[in-house]
Amino acid sequence: MSAPRAAGTLRRAVLVALGLLWLFPTYLIVANALRPADGYRPDDAVRPPTDFALLANIGEVWERTDLEQGLLSSLLYSLVSPALAVLVGALAAYAIVVLRLRHGFAWFMLIFGGTIFPLQMLLVPLFVGYSRFGLYDGRLGMVLVYTAINVPLAALVMRNFFGGIAISVFEAARMDGASTFGIFWRIHLPLSWTALAAVFVLEFTFVWNDLLFGLTLTQSETVRPAMTELAALTTDVYAGTPVPVALAAGLVVSVPTVALFLLTQRLFTRGLTLTQV
Amino acid sequence: MSAHETLPRPRSAAGGGDSPPRAPRGTGFRLFGRFRFGYLSPAVLVVAVLLYLPFLWTVYLSMTRYDGLGSPVFTGLENYTRLLDDPAMLTSIRNTLLWVLGTTVLPVGLGLLVAVLSYDIRGGGWYRLPFLLPYAMSGAGLGLVWGFILQPDGVANKVLGFLGMPGGETAFLNDGPENTLAMIVVWTWQQLGVNMLLFVVGLQSIPRAPIEAARLDGASGWRLFRHVIWPLMRPLTTVVVGLALVASLKTFDIVWVMTQGGPGRTSETLAVTMYRDVFVADEYGYGSAIAVLLTTVTGLSSYAYMRRQTRREDF
Repeated sequence: MSAPRAAGTLRRAVLVALGLLWLFPTYLIVANALRPADGYRPDDAVRPPTDFALLANIGEVWERTDLEQGLLSSLLYSLVSPALAVLVGALAAYAIVVLRLRHGFAWFMLIFGGTIFPLQMLLVPLFVGYSRFGLYDGRLGMVLVYTAINVPLAALVMRNFFGGIAISVFEAARMDGASTFGIFWRIHLPLSWTALAAVFVLEFTFVWNDLLFGLTLTQSETVRPAMTELAALTTDVYAGTPVPVALAAGLVVSVPTVALFLLTQRLFTRGLTLTQV
Repeated sequence: MSAHETLPRPRSAAGGGDSPPRAPRGTGFRLFGRFRFGYLSPAVLVVAVLLYLPFLWTVYLSMTRYDGLGSPVFTGLENYTRLLDDPAMLTSIRNTLLWVLGTTVLPVGLGLLVAVLSYDIRGGGWYRLPFLLPYAMSGAGLGLVWGFILQPDGVANKVLGFLGMPGGETAFLNDGPENTLAMIVVWTWQQLGVNMLLFVVGLQSIPRAPIEAARLDGASGWRLFRHVIWPLMRPLTTVVVGLALVASLKTFDIVWVMTQGGPGRTSETLAVTMYRDVFVADEYGYGSAIAVLLTTVTGLSSYAYMRRQTRREDF
């Protein structure tokens, strides 16, 4: 049987060739983030780095920009908003699926419909409205908008998940005298922690990587998220940032999402039932 | 048993008085227990106030002239007729179409290729790793790091020169539509991984029996893929292409960070044009009209796409 083996070798060869092509930019980014910023020459970009100046470059990022403030703000938004969204979405799903709210499906469609239009539809009113109500350039405003955007996905996934929990569980707990909220808090939430965590991770990543609302709704360095700071590195505000420093900033900002994905990737095979609506 | 029909009533009224309540109920939650709507209202409230209300407001603003000061002046469809003969809109629409074409074909197609090549060979996960690494990078990070590769004195030109290819001094980001094409390549580099992952999950969950049967009948390689695997993958591919389509229409981050839509508005997409008209030119009404256009285009194309796909699967 040499035909299948030859085919297998060909497959591996194609994969390796494509993989090397894909690794090359990754290599360039890492290699040049390691180089000392002083005396950086574009001609050397492809050479393997001989020094390890990553930490010095990160120190330089700290000095030149407000990225550390931005990272703290981003962390706040990316933790608080998805947590709130998951809770609010799960409560709604509980009312619709477990408590069998009348017209439950219509309510669900109303909530889920909130994700259908492009975010560009929100920018002008949020900018104007936030300015009027004192929410512009404030942490509360950012947490609120990210929460609202994330509620529909949470409601969708939790609706599917709660649908898989037998109604007899609820009835039995009821017989034992548990309150409606007690059943939600002590039975349904713990039973669905994989789905909750999976949604949380997805939404954390979305908020962390979002650039649009940071650009439009914030201004001061204590409120601006990290992505907006990072975008500012390429525009004229910080013109003259040495390449290794800029690349180091790009790496630092990617660390939390990478770490989170590596830690939680097993959740995604168990937690999400996105397809069975 | 019709117990569930009367479920959400206060505990005291729930049937079975012999078993004592296990946990005392906090009075603060009594309101929630009695009114199911209490569980639903936070979700409805935030979605209505922060998503639906702004949506309607944008639709209204798109029919006004408004610079953010004072109050909007109603102008009917003036903004929309202005869209028709705005030269910047033409470029913007062309670039958005390039993004739609490029990103529904390249990352999805290559993602499918890598998934099919790697899903059933030993150590497939290791072969896939190089494609997953770029996915960790955000749109903003991506723009930042690729800017240095695509500069006139950057690595891309060094490589072209080294390979003896023409165009060793190309300023990739300086002219349209080349700058859009260059950014689509960058986007492909980043997005291949996630598409590949979706296809790998799909390939691992398709039934083994038809594949094994076809193998026993002597099918392998391209024929196995074309006649057995591909038909089984069709529904998933529909979803993946649909997601890429909707995302591509809204392309913003990478363009904003790499070129800010320039130079001279040559690389703007609809989303960038909208942002620029509102937040750089203070044309809130006109920008809102672009947002409405973007929403309409997104809605219509998703609808048309889904219609076409479902009809094709009928026969």
